[in-house]
Amino acid sequence: MSEGVEVKVEDKDKVKVKELNPDLGFVKEVIKSGGESLKKCYQCATCSVVCNVTPDDNPFPRKEMIQAQWGLKDELFRNPDIWLCHQCSDCTAYCPRGAKPGEVLNAIRKISIQEFSVPGFLARMVNQPMFLLLLLAVPVIALLASGAGHIPAGPVEFGKPGGFLFSLKYIDPLFTTIAVLALLSLFMGIRKYWSAMSEAHPATGMPLGTAIKETVKDILAHKRFDKCETTKARSTAHKLVFYSFIGLFITTVLAFGKIILAPRTGYLAYFGYNVNVSASLLTGLVVVYKIIGNVSAAALITGILLIMSNRMKNAKKAGLGSYYDWLFITLVAGLGITGLLAELLRVGNVQAAYPVYVIHLCFVFFLFAYAPFSKMAHMFYRATAMVFEKKSGKA
Amino acid sequence: MAEQCILVIGGGISGLTAAIEAAEAGYDVCIVEKNPYLGGRVSQLNKYFPKLCPPVCGLEINYRRIKENARVKFYTMAQVESVTAKEGSYDVTVKVAPRYINDRCVSCDACAQACPAERQDDFNLGMGRTKAAYLPFDQAYPMRYVIDAASCKDGCMQKCKDACKYGAVELDMKPETVKINASAIVVATGWNPYDISKADNLGMGKVKNVITNMMMERLAAPNGPTAGKILRPSDGKEPKKVAFVQCAGSRDENHLPYCSYICCMASLKQTTYLKEQYPDATADIFYIDIRTPGRYEKFYWKVRDMEGVSFTKGKVAKVENTEGDDVLVTLEDTLSGKKVRLAFDMVVLAAGMESATRQNPIQLGINYTAEGMIVPGSLKPGIYAVGSSKSPVDVAKSVQDATGAALKAIQSAIKLLPAGGVR
Repeated sequence: MSEGVEVKVEDKDKVKVKELNPDLGFVKEVIKSGGESLKKCYQCATCSVVCNVTPDDNPFPRKEMIQAQWGLKDELFRNPDIWLCHQCSDCTAYCPRGAKPGEVLNAIRKISIQEFSVPGFLARMVNQPMFLLLLLAVPVIALLASGAGHIPAGPVEFGKPGGFLFSLKYIDPLFTTIAVLALLSLFMGIRKYWSAMSEAHPATGMPLGTAIKETVKDILAHKRFDKCETTKARSTAHKLVFYSFIGLFITTVLAFGKIILAPRTGYLAYFGYNVNVSASLLTGLVVVYKIIGNVSAAALITGILLIMSNRMKNAKKAGLGSYYDWLFITLVAGLGITGLLAELLRVGNVQAAYPVYVIHLCFVFFLFAYAPFSKMAHMFYRATAMVFEKKSGKA
Repeated sequence: MAEQCILVIGGGISGLTAAIEAAEAGYDVCIVEKNPYLGGRVSQLNKYFPKLCPPVCGLEINYRRIKENARVKFYTMAQVESVTAKEGSYDVTVKVAPRYINDRCVSCDACAQACPAERQDDFNLGMGRTKAAYLPFDQAYPMRYVIDAASCKDGCMQKCKDACKYGAVELDMKPETVKINASAIVVATGWNPYDISKADNLGMGKVKNVITNMMMERLAAPNGPTAGKILRPSDGKEPKKVAFVQCAGSRDENHLPYCSYICCMASLKQTTYLKEQYPDATADIFYIDIRTPGRYEKFYWKVRDMEGVSFTKGKVAKVENTEGDDVLVTLEDTLSGKKVRLAFDMVVLAAGMESATRQNPIQLGINYTAEGMIVPGSLKPGIYAVGSSKSPVDVAKSVQDATGAALKAIQSAIKLLPAGGVR
């Protein structure tokens, strides 16, 4: 079936010799990062066949396995394929050698985040357990320095004028700066990834705008996720977490809007602008984001607990995952649980609401400040790869 | 009084060889065989590789040697029940199931013709049915019918008895217990084809025209269900486009982690069956690695150079039904890096070998591997394992192994006798 390419002698000058640059350090890193089964692969290609999300032309993950075994880092990183993989783990379940291609590609993805994200040292720290306490110390110290250790007397209030949040001196500038830096870092990382892919693959597919539109549709519907067989239940769990993040994002935007617009106490008023917003509009806004926020919180907690239990259940077939996975899962779970708990304690007017809320803020900080370097970045890299796949015509 | 002999468990090619070699050297031997006939898996084969000669000739010679040698005693439909371990002298209990037909049988087929019940034809791997009173196959040894009591109920057997002019049908035959005092034991329990329906992606049992390599042997064998004409099961069509799926269950931790050793040669051999019957047919062999050890490589070259035979590196990992009972296989051709879907008239799964001791371990106080194969190092003095009970092997290696084991068994037997004594 495969036809050998015959090179005529006179054509030899025209033949481009491809130089391979094996990076043995990379091989070791893949093995260390949860891809310890890498070397078991004997290239039978069962994985590429049972994979429902791979394209037919140059399918993955068989070729990624040999590229990783040979340390061909550039081949892996300049390709959308490692991110087109959704780690359904059908490959891992059917692998005759226990080489776990799903886990190996996950390890490669982690290293590729390290490779592209800026600054790189932070990525290496985020993905090593030994730096966990140090990284955690940053929000803890920042919050304590802002006065989070002080528990106010009187009824428990967080966001209302005069509430706990207002007593934290540096909280707004701190979180805003962090958010801007994280976004900047993400943008730079994604740009590096995009240009690396563009160098290696010509664009012959759909225009960028259409590619983005189609990708958004795919993601919203979880189209690829739904093709997974071994980890079928994962799609529902991931949908819950995914949509709850969107819900919580909307909640944050609306809440921030209220903080800006509120007469007398709002930011605009603070800077001397007098806005005329009706009280009923503001109350309506609060009711809407409270509903969205609480529903999202419930969905987030349900979804992340389902993800945890699915991972445990599938551990034998699909692998348990690595630090990179579990750090992210723990952060999301911690974020949801402390958020809900703080809310309940506040409603119950229990003073313990304050420390719980501070812990919640630490989770928020950790998740978003380190987003460009942790598994949180997967959504951006994967979305980029999906857009690129469509634009390059690989799909 | 217990029978004094060297016990050979299993009457396939290994067991027959060990028994006959020891008997011809002057030692009494008992063969215990669970089937109603001797010859084992080899009797199901159409041809041997690499010479492509029919195995029945070799088996016939062995049966003649048994007939001429009073030192060989054999029990069919028999299984070892217990072994009391005493080094060099083993007390063995053998259970013999009733055959319901005695040695007056002349194989006239009258009982089968009169028999109202049917059973699945296990000799032909479930392809077709036989009467409940049946001869396992036309060259069976002993050449004697057998009644499958589980399929022949409620007066069914009486009809067989009434039809027999020779008084060969014995309805009140009971299970028997035979006591053997064995000076040595040769374990030649052989192998079973791996149940490849356990690989849910290869279509066995779900996709109509997917068969195993052993089924292909029966389809090609003159005494098989199609009288030797290779026809696909669903509609009896002549398959002109056949795929051979290598490593079906072998070299796979989810099934058999080891290489089954014979499957590549078997598929190459079966390609010659196909090309012999249908010169215009094509055979596609999908492999991870073609393993034709030692001098078998030459056989690979021979088949590789045949017209219409192609080899593709890439394991078939999806087998599905498609239009007109054809079979769709999916693989990645790893040399071109393309995922391909191809339709075939019929697909042959090169299913691997599983030691019979996996399903049916013998209690000899020995160790088995995780896959149920005997660990030779764990055998007690005087017990020898041969052939495919230890590792997947071909017929030639089994015969060599069994010949060596005959000598080892004789040495164990001699230790029981006074110095210089001959049995």
